[in-house]
Amino acid sequence: MGLGVREIRCGGEPVLDTENGEELMRVQAGVDIALGNRPPESTGTLYITTRQVIWLSDADNTRRGYAVDFLSISLHAVSRDPDAYPIPCLYTQIDTDAGEDHDSDNSDSDSNHVQDLSNIREMRLIPSDPSQLDSLFEIFCDCAELNPEPTDEEEGEEHDWIFSADQMQDDQAEEEGYIPHNPNNTIGQSNGNHDLARTVLQLQINDKRFEDAEEIEDDRDGTRH
Amino acid sequence: MLFFSYFKDLVGREVTVELKNDLAIRGTLHSVDQYLNIKLENTRVVDQDKYPHMLSVRNCFIRGSVVRYVQLPPEGVDIELLHDATRREARGG
Repeated sequence: MGLGVREIRCGGEPVLDTENGEELMRVQAGVDIALGNRPPESTGTLYITTRQVIWLSDADNTRRGYAVDFLSISLHAVSRDPDAYPIPCLYTQIDTDAGEDHDSDNSDSDSNHVQDLSNIREMRLIPSDPSQLDSLFEIFCDCAELNPEPTDEEEGEEHDWIFSADQMQDDQAEEEGYIPHNPNNTIGQSNGNHDLARTVLQLQINDKRFEDAEEIEDDRDGTRH
Repeated sequence: MLFFSYFKDLVGREVTVELKNDLAIRGTLHSVDQYLNIKLENTRVVDQDKYPHMLSVRNCFIRGSVVRYVQLPPEGVDIELLHDATRREARGG
């Protein structure tokens, strides 16, 4: 799953990865989208999920659109000053895999209908009803918080332990009816999904593991002496 | 968690957040979360020539992972408190 804006096509509603906990947070009809310095594309529907922002054009039958993960959204803000942008919008900055090389001019490559979106570093979402901007802003904040960086510097070998323990928690939750049953989540399977709860859980589990190890050593020392 | 607590104490103060893409935004620290995501109010872009379109934005949300530096108000830095906190953190407490 790369960074940046992706072009997508789908028949109807966007397909969510519900098995891994992706949920729809908000659907906002009547939203235009402007990528980078391109003119706005109208009109579409905005789907905000716990993981990504999806915009689908209302024009096509096979709905064309764009998706960007919250992991790629560096910054978002409400822009209302007409000097900055003529229409009030939710302004976002996008983190991409591409380098800072702005000079490579490939902006007119639409001829073969393959768009290069890797250099798109800004995205504006323009709702036809500007009064929605503040609540959209808040939802973006909430969702950003649900998508922390995937555990960056963690010792890779421990993932099996973490995930199996994690999984037990999930199973417990399933029994209590909080999380829909998911047959694909077998013990020890790393699915790369690091949501807020999991990250916190991992930290706690790490701590316990270290504590236990020390205690065992202490005990051994105690029996020897 | 050290920096989280530390930044929470700076809420309401004026800070400058410098992003990894060199954009620097000055504003009042509105809130911060455990991932050091930062919400700023009354923002203004430091280098306005380079980022003219950010000029108008009054408040913004910055993803913690894209922050390079946070410039703090000198009066917001309590050295004694930081000393203690970092020692506690180093001890794993």
